[in-house]
Amino acid sequence: MSLLQFDGIHKRFGGVAALGGVSGTLDEGEILGLVGPNGSGKSTLINILSGFAEPNEGRISFAGVDVTDTEAHHRFGAGIARTYQIPRPFSSMTVRHNVAVPLIFGKTKLHPSAATERAMHWLEFAGLASYADQPVSELNLHQLKYLELARALASEPRVLFLDEVLAGLNPTEIEESILMIRRIHDLGISLVIVEHVLRVVNALSTRIVALNQGLVIAEGAPTDVMADPEVVKAYLGSRWKHA
Amino acid sequence: MSRRTTVRLGSFAAVAVALWFLPTLQGPIGFPIFYLLFGYTLLFWFAQASSWNMFTGYSGYFSFGQGAFFGVGVYTTGVLAAKRGWPLIAAIPVAGILAAALGLSLGFVVFRLRRLQGEIFALVTLAVAFVVAAIARVSSKIDGGSGIALNDVQLPDFLGTFPSMMFRLGLVIAVLTVFAAATIQHSRLGWGLFSINDDEAVAESLGVPTFRHKMMAFGMSAFFAGLSGAVHAIQISYITIEDVFSIRIPLFVIVMSVLGGMRHWMGPIVGATIIHTLTDRLNRASDLELFGGNVTVSLDHLNDIIIGLLLIVMVLAVKDGLWPRLVDRKWAAAGAFVVGILIARIWAPEMSPIGQFVAGELGAVAVLLPSSAVIDRWRSRGGPSETPDEPTSQPTVGATP
Amino acid sequence: MTLYGQAIISGVLAGGLYAMMSLGVSLSWGVLKIINLAYFSFILLAGYGSYELAANQGWDPFVTVLAVVPVFVIVGGLLQLFFEKVKIGEFESLLVTFGLLIMLESVARSIWSADFRRIPSTENPYASSSLRIGEFAFPTPQLSAFLTAIVIGLLMKYLLDRTYFGKAVRALAQDRDMARAFGVDHRRVAVLLSGLAAATAAIAGVFIAMSQALFPSLAVEWFGIVFPVVILGGLGSTLGALGAGVVIGVVAAIASVTWGPSYAPLATFVILIATLLFRPDGLFTRKASV
Repeated sequence: MSLLQFDGIHKRFGGVAALGGVSGTLDEGEILGLVGPNGSGKSTLINILSGFAEPNEGRISFAGVDVTDTEAHHRFGAGIARTYQIPRPFSSMTVRHNVAVPLIFGKTKLHPSAATERAMHWLEFAGLASYADQPVSELNLHQLKYLELARALASEPRVLFLDEVLAGLNPTEIEESILMIRRIHDLGISLVIVEHVLRVVNALSTRIVALNQGLVIAEGAPTDVMADPEVVKAYLGSRWKHA
Repeated sequence: MSRRTTVRLGSFAAVAVALWFLPTLQGPIGFPIFYLLFGYTLLFWFAQASSWNMFTGYSGYFSFGQGAFFGVGVYTTGVLAAKRGWPLIAAIPVAGILAAALGLSLGFVVFRLRRLQGEIFALVTLAVAFVVAAIARVSSKIDGGSGIALNDVQLPDFLGTFPSMMFRLGLVIAVLTVFAAATIQHSRLGWGLFSINDDEAVAESLGVPTFRHKMMAFGMSAFFAGLSGAVHAIQISYITIEDVFSIRIPLFVIVMSVLGGMRHWMGPIVGATIIHTLTDRLNRASDLELFGGNVTVSLDHLNDIIIGLLLIVMVLAVKDGLWPRLVDRKWAAAGAFVVGILIARIWAPEMSPIGQFVAGELGAVAVLLPSSAVIDRWRSRGGPSETPDEPTSQPTVGATP
Repeated sequence: MTLYGQAIISGVLAGGLYAMMSLGVSLSWGVLKIINLAYFSFILLAGYGSYELAANQGWDPFVTVLAVVPVFVIVGGLLQLFFEKVKIGEFESLLVTFGLLIMLESVARSIWSADFRRIPSTENPYASSSLRIGEFAFPTPQLSAFLTAIVIGLLMKYLLDRTYFGKAVRALAQDRDMARAFGVDHRRVAVLLSGLAAATAAIAGVFIAMSQALFPSLAVEWFGIVFPVVILGGLGSTLGALGAGVVIGVVAAIASVTWGPSYAPLATFVILIATLLFRPDGLFTRKASV
């Protein structure tokens, strides 16, 4: 049985269909790459799967339980976590308190004082321990992205959606982040990565799903999907606009 | 329970108990009874400002609805105690419950909106006082437009003479409210509210039950506002729609909390103390005569202008309010306070103790408010609309347990 | 039935006035992202200004528009310039303009006292005159306010839909940064729009002075009418405000006739809540900020 399964997800904004019936699965231990040109529906799909937006049609089940109507905070507690493409820290809290929030409200349900202590563990994991009591404004983009990871991991999720964690980073930082993603995977967490840097997706993913205009156009092993004429056409048709 | 928490709880309880016996000392020490009523009003504002702040200050959702909850409280006493002969003590909890029910129903409508929740919330709460007022005006069972006299209300005589009783009732409610505000701040609920304040969507995606937390905090906020209103009805003694549902209650709680600081339970207390003592003095001051008596300025009118100006300056220049600054620079503030009192004593020896206190207070505020803050902001390029991520308050002041 | 017919007529006519009172708030909130409560005091002060000129200087109440409106165009523009200077945020604007509202109300109270002020009927022949069609009366102040509102609404619509200024405004409303990137002079557009918005508020104030008594706390009492109109009409929507004004006006008038005038605010609030409950998404022109 798949860890995460979604069937026939439709999402319309006004009259425009962002997703036109997308189905798929994520197995335990997978790293699923989600690719597609801008506007293909990747972010919408992540938003829907993490409970951020409601689908117009379709069902989602997680670990065998239907979670279509489950609110986002319950999904987080159940083990579905996500990061944001543009980091969204709690700007009036310290770095440590940022990580304490999911420890208080996620699966661990720690008392605030215990959560503040436990937060150090994840800050060490993300290499941010020395910033623990700094305001988040002290962090650079790379570190903010790691803070996003630390927050998402704090509740020990089973699935983690990584929304363009590499966007905006320099080559060295990208290499570090790839190592970090592997370390997260080694914790036994199944990953869904959305990424523009196709080279990275190819290297990391165990399987790739390609979206275009709200539909799945190809799915399978990285090399097969990247060679798929539909995928090539979708990318060549639009990738230059947003490079 | 940590040692620090125990010490804090202990001192909180000690202050509360000491204040409880203050009216008993009135006879032996012989301070004027006026101070008990003055103290009651101060405690009333502590309760009002703290109850408002425990929701709005922590969550960032701006409520103008304080007047409605206060009004529900006042009129519960009016109807139950004055018209139906309930003892005041029995009417007070009912007032809290009714106010909470109003708050929860408003929250239920607005907190489920997906868009513009914060803005709509502010405006709906702004309108709700008028609607509650309209209902009270229409219904002859409530007011019917003629007002209610509360002369015959059955008061809790075991609390002492009228001033002592008011002081003690005010004290109990202020203590309950402030205690609730402080407890929320350090609890899971407080953490949830502070994270909602920063980024509600992210809070929800990190497990914070945002809807439930907002409902809980708003319900409690309304509850305490109602309790406090129920007692205040006795102080007003003749209640009319126009007075009870005026914009003054929301205005004052907002200015008090913004001034004192909204992210800590002490903020509203500091703000309420300053505003109440200051406006009290201004109300009592005689008219200023300028230009050799050719122009007379009534200080009474100046009151609202000062309050409005203070709000504008605080919002634009000192967003965190005075409390974090007071914590940082307590000795400077204390020094300025003493200097202010000394100057007042030398300059106007016959000034009342409250007047001297205000002088000290103004000295402390002057030290805490860097006058250049407005100018800095004017010159600076980064405002909140451009750099939303720039932290505007001390990170340690937030949800620090 | 005559009673209800007349109620509907007064409601529709009042709706025009409500729309003018709301237009400034709606445009400012929808386009400039500033919830400007100061417009309420602009309406009030413009009313008092008109009162002064008509009652003490003997101006025709209609003519006072010529003096009052330019003042508020400047005041509205300057206020916006200040907001631009300090880079005010949305919630800050709500609080700052609330402070301003309180200050201006207090100024009004110290100049004109808390008593009712009404232009004496000798100076204001319009208050008691009306156009009669059959058994229905169209009071002159309300009728002219309604017609003015329609003209202003259409002018605004034209301005926003057909001109370069309008394009710039819409670009701002949709995406501030993008508009800036395309060379829209944000500050100039905002100041101009704010001046226009203040002008409509001032015109509303003149009509209010013409038709009723003024007192300082009116400014605050208008919240109950203006916010339902703004939300029902949709933020930043000119014709929406006009339509919503008429709906609110008619509902309030019918409630007054059926149950009594005190029920009018109740009826408008019920509409506001019902809108929020059942049609929250369809009514807004702006996307989610989350």
